[in-house]
Amino acid sequence: MSIVTDLLARPGVIAAGEYAYRGDRFSYRGVLTEEHARMASIICRATTMSVNMEGGMLEALRPRNGLHPARGWVVYGPSHTVCVMANVFCMIDNAKGSINDIVRFMRGTLTHASTHLI
Amino acid sequence: MVTLDALMRLPGAMAAFEFRGSGELLEHQIAYPDRLNDSTLDLLAHMCAANMSIATMQARGWEQITAMKGFYPVRAFTLVGFDWSVVVSGLHREQYKQDGKYSLPPFMGVVMSNENADYEAAFAALENQEPIS
Repeated sequence: MSIVTDLLARPGVIAAGEYAYRGDRFSYRGVLTEEHARMASIICRATTMSVNMEGGMLEALRPRNGLHPARGWVVYGPSHTVCVMANVFCMIDNAKGSINDIVRFMRGTLTHASTHLI
Repeated sequence: MVTLDALMRLPGAMAAFEFRGSGELLEHQIAYPDRLNDSTLDLLAHMCAANMSIATMQARGWEQITAMKGFYPVRAFTLVGFDWSVVVSGLHREQYKQDGKYSLPPFMGVVMSNENADYEAAFAALENQEPIS
């Protein structure tokens, strides 16, 4: 099974997808429309690029700090959370899912994902 | 209001800090100065301020365009690095805004080692704020 399928099988995950770092492709499953999934992919890709830039800047200031290379990010909202690791995103219903479990699963599954963003 | 001491008691906590919306580092505590120093934390605070602003803009736009609710206002932003994560919360400021206050309290954040990080505990700790007087 793909990580997207695995994610959707976990409690509280309402949508999940993958995007290409170069921005020309995406795939998704869950409650999103095609257009909304496209927009989610663009937002996630832009933020992933940004946090990777930040990790690189911190590394330049202080080598071997633990934030570089960035692996992902999480935006925790009032009832929904967006969790992104590497080029995979998912949306979680806070009342039904565990953010700790999802982050742990995504970090573990994507441990060997390339950090070159290509 | 949650204290830096309380944030430093979170599992894997390496640093706890306050910063203005403009990113300036205020009070802070660092558990391992050999691995994380003041200047790194100052730059990180500026990054966290920027990330909170961008995430808020994205959540606002997302809700308006998709009609999906529950993303705005952003309660916390987490950057997950290779070995560490940093969690920052803006919920307390949002409560001040909703009460019509113009002078907002600082953001608060915590740096944790990924190995021991409990993100939900960090969210809860950062949101453990006293009522607005």
